[in-house]
Amino acid sequence: MPGDPDGSPDGATPLTLSGPERSVLELLRRSSEGPLAEEEVGGRTGLADDQVRGTLQRLRSKHLAVVEEEHLATFHLTPRGTAARQHGLPERRLLDALLASGTVGPADSAWSALEDDERGAAIGVLRRRGLLEDGVPLRLRPGGRHADVGEEEAHLLDSVAAGNAPGDAEALSRLERRGLLKVERRSRKRWAASEDGRRLALAPEGVEPIGALSVAVLASGDWRSRPFRPYDVRAGVPFVLGARRNRYLAWLQEFEEVLVGLGFEEAEGPLLESEFWNNDVLFMPQDHPARSIHDALAVEGVDVEAPPADLLARVAAVHEGRPLPGESVAVGPGWGVPYDVTVARRAVLRSQTTAVSARFLAARPRTPFRMYAIDRNFRRENLDAQHHLEFWQSEGIVGAPGMNVRHLVGLFRELAEAIGIRELKIRPSYFPFTEPSIEGYVRHPRLGWMEVFPGGLFRPEVLRPLGIDVPVLAWGVGVTRLAMVALGCNDIRELFATDLEQLRGGTP
Amino acid sequence: MPSSTLSRARLLSRLGGNVPADRLEAAFFASKAEVQAGAGDALEVSVTPDRLDLLSEGGLALHLEGALALADGAPRLRRSRAGAASWRCSVDGSVAPLRPCLAGVVVRAPPGAPMDDGLLAEAVRFQELLHATVGRDRRAMSLGIYPARRVRPPIRYALEPLADVEFVPLGGERPMRAEEFFADHPLAARYGALGRTGDRCLTLRDAKGTILSLPPVLNGRAAGEAAAGDRALLLEATGTRERAVREGLGLLLVVFASRGWSLLPVPVDGPGGASSDGSALVTSSVRSLPASTVREIAGEPLRSNDVVAALGRARLGARRARGGWNVLAPPWRPDLLAPVDLAEEVILARGLRAEDGVVPPSGVRGRRRDSTRFRREVAELLLGLGFAQPNTTVLVPEAAAERLPGSAPVRLVNPVSREYAAVRDRLLASHLDVLARNTRHGYPQRFAEVAPVVVRTSRGAAETRSHAGLVVAGEGSGFAQAAATVDYLLRAYDVGAVREPAELPGSIPGRGARVRVAGETVAELGELPPELLERLAVPVPVAWAELDLTALGPLVARRDSTK
Repeated sequence: MPGDPDGSPDGATPLTLSGPERSVLELLRRSSEGPLAEEEVGGRTGLADDQVRGTLQRLRSKHLAVVEEEHLATFHLTPRGTAARQHGLPERRLLDALLASGTVGPADSAWSALEDDERGAAIGVLRRRGLLEDGVPLRLRPGGRHADVGEEEAHLLDSVAAGNAPGDAEALSRLERRGLLKVERRSRKRWAASEDGRRLALAPEGVEPIGALSVAVLASGDWRSRPFRPYDVRAGVPFVLGARRNRYLAWLQEFEEVLVGLGFEEAEGPLLESEFWNNDVLFMPQDHPARSIHDALAVEGVDVEAPPADLLARVAAVHEGRPLPGESVAVGPGWGVPYDVTVARRAVLRSQTTAVSARFLAARPRTPFRMYAIDRNFRRENLDAQHHLEFWQSEGIVGAPGMNVRHLVGLFRELAEAIGIRELKIRPSYFPFTEPSIEGYVRHPRLGWMEVFPGGLFRPEVLRPLGIDVPVLAWGVGVTRLAMVALGCNDIRELFATDLEQLRGGTP
Repeated sequence: MPSSTLSRARLLSRLGGNVPADRLEAAFFASKAEVQAGAGDALEVSVTPDRLDLLSEGGLALHLEGALALADGAPRLRRSRAGAASWRCSVDGSVAPLRPCLAGVVVRAPPGAPMDDGLLAEAVRFQELLHATVGRDRRAMSLGIYPARRVRPPIRYALEPLADVEFVPLGGERPMRAEEFFADHPLAARYGALGRTGDRCLTLRDAKGTILSLPPVLNGRAAGEAAAGDRALLLEATGTRERAVREGLGLLLVVFASRGWSLLPVPVDGPGGASSDGSALVTSSVRSLPASTVREIAGEPLRSNDVVAALGRARLGARRARGGWNVLAPPWRPDLLAPVDLAEEVILARGLRAEDGVVPPSGVRGRRRDSTRFRREVAELLLGLGFAQPNTTVLVPEAAAERLPGSAPVRLVNPVSREYAAVRDRLLASHLDVLARNTRHGYPQRFAEVAPVVVRTSRGAAETRSHAGLVVAGEGSGFAQAAATVDYLLRAYDVGAVREPAELPGSIPGRGARVRVAGETVAELGELPPELLERLAVPVPVAWAELDLTALGPLVARRDSTK
């Protein structure tokens, strides 16, 4: 907070001392006799007891003072202890009676002279020392050594009565349990300056230290003569929220680097497509199941651009198995179904990036060419860990004289090696727009063989209407699936990351 | 992929019964069929859509025999002559508007090998599969199988008044009038519309007037069901398209032809004197394969013998011809449309290995589009400002338009769920969900995304545009923060812009703005209204901005080019 002498422009907590804190800290730092008790601090600073305690605690929380605690105990004789001291300990009195009369039973005066609990304690002591025979009346076991019975306890009681420091803590504790002694326990705190407290530079009295190093302070030159108020470097600081690259999008970019490195030029197309570009121009029959309402996502209430009339006529001709306009021989037998122009104008969400390839080819690129597109597509999938309505494909085409299926396999191998996979094998496949159609399988170290590279050579029924007269290799890699493998992701929905905690890369 | 459950035992018995598992696995991998073991005798097979013949045990056995070198060349199609004079079918002109095409073949078992239960099951299962695929759920084509002994030729295919039609449906116990059948029968509920128009329906009757079937719905009981022990069957197909009819029937033939059954085409007399002897249905067609096509696609010259041998392994007959080869394609291979399809057969039968690959030399330089580079730069700048990068879907919930009155997302006709029912026209539609999902996390929150939207145009169309959307949420967040970020981005490209007040979806009135560059809107920004925050359970103020990079990109490029 600029302008606040105690503040910090970046949120750091300044270390400030009140007058009493400063006085007490100075006293602790000066103390030559080591840590000081709170009473001593109060006596020397003139502060009231509660003020002393509060001040010392604040210094401690600022890591400037440390405390050590001394535990004290004071012993007093109880009335029973005083009686035992005067008349002898119960075990001694019982022993003396046994020595005098041989036996002591409930009918004897020595028995009834003791309280119940005293009697129990006395008998217990004598039995533990092995002096008593079993049974009642009580009888001494011959040969027992009993001269010192009660001697140590009597000595302790005398010491306590005389106010001397106690000796054997265990013996004292036994006497306490027998109700002969009472113990008062208390602790005493002694305070000293901590390492930080000793190092802390205290401004001379009357000089205000610098808090925030503000523009005004810098300009004034005050900093030359005033000390800086230190910061509490252990105090909490504002929580920084960072941002890191989305790992899926970053992976797609890495994959793209490979394609650009192989000489591919990027193309793009609209997400909302006409069926013409999405299917017809790719020689997908108009009644193909993949075009049904169960597989493609259709939209309502919008028009899509009309296909170019001449291209539409040429595509219709190959679908119907007629010669292209101006030619006499059909490209192929077609699909045997009348071509429906209204179907061609229907709007759908693009279901394959091959539509981008079709648009690229329709622009009659100069040969040789290499084109790629990495983009979203949409299919009417039920959502689960492996399927999503939105998915990315990496489309690639290569057009040049002499391109053949071995070149396609060579490119698959190149792509596989670029993403760190060495084992590749090829199997037949099928797509309406390529022939031959193949599928490149790669061996993943954990998941085994996976189909990754579907591709082929565009059929004449695709190329001829577009006016392309060189063979064109084409593939559409399911990069979403590849990314899941590369990123160790088991659920495709995780790729659509919206959890900010994960995206920020830190836990608030 | 189309799939079916086949009998492992029947398939293996066709292959001699003792094919090593690894050879069989390798043969499947090199084919267009994928196989998985099912329970017991079941073999789950899926195929690419061009090779439906592999979904019958007969068709798959033919292929594997070739792949395993147990047989080669095209299987012989045996022609039957028995009853050739009597089998005939007439097509009445009345069927033309509804379902004009019909074809038929009588198939006869070889001596001593009548139909058994396994063959019957295979034929019926394959028939249903063809209905679903080639037949497009019987719309384009449907098939009928009848015991030939119960049918007295010739047959007549016509559209008759419902009142004239009464029959016992297959599986039924009593005669039903056609009106009742179309009203009550479950199959009529599903397929009735394909075989009926107004008060008339399609019928197939034999010479006695017996109803064989009401195509494409159901057979009549009088003609009976094919059964084990039958020695001859009438197979027929009706449909809307001749090609689908020919393909469907041709594919069904593989079940019988692969077991040596002989084939008798049923001539069809059409309206107006048109007739066909049907022989094309039971004959392999000759296709030309130019040598140049094979060479160009395979990438290497192949010797003629090698090509013929490869085609033989693919169970196709081939003979050297001028400039290439003549290839015999059996009726169940409708996928062989053109020379490229035949060339594929050669290449796949020879096998394609990864080591055969040749990396083509690249004579071109790779590059990204300028628009992509621009989008990436903007995304990097926002990342540098500490905006997290979510990745949201283009599809948004049905409620998106409701949350942002004034927005106009394009709606799906056939959504899978309400959560993905429209195409967003602004990133804010997705970002509201991001805010709602993250209320448990700490604030402030800052996130941004560069991604596509689909925006309606004034001409009733819609176009894909690239937007950059950013959101700041937290105590103290407001218009100024969003505006400052937009200013920063524009400044980064040295673009001078003006901010103008605007009433926008998703903004408190009086706190929304459009940013214009040279008169064109390149960004919008505002503060979310409290009622929307309350609805999203977001407890802090939120400001947002959305830049139209499709609009801004060319302006930036133009500025760069004039420097």
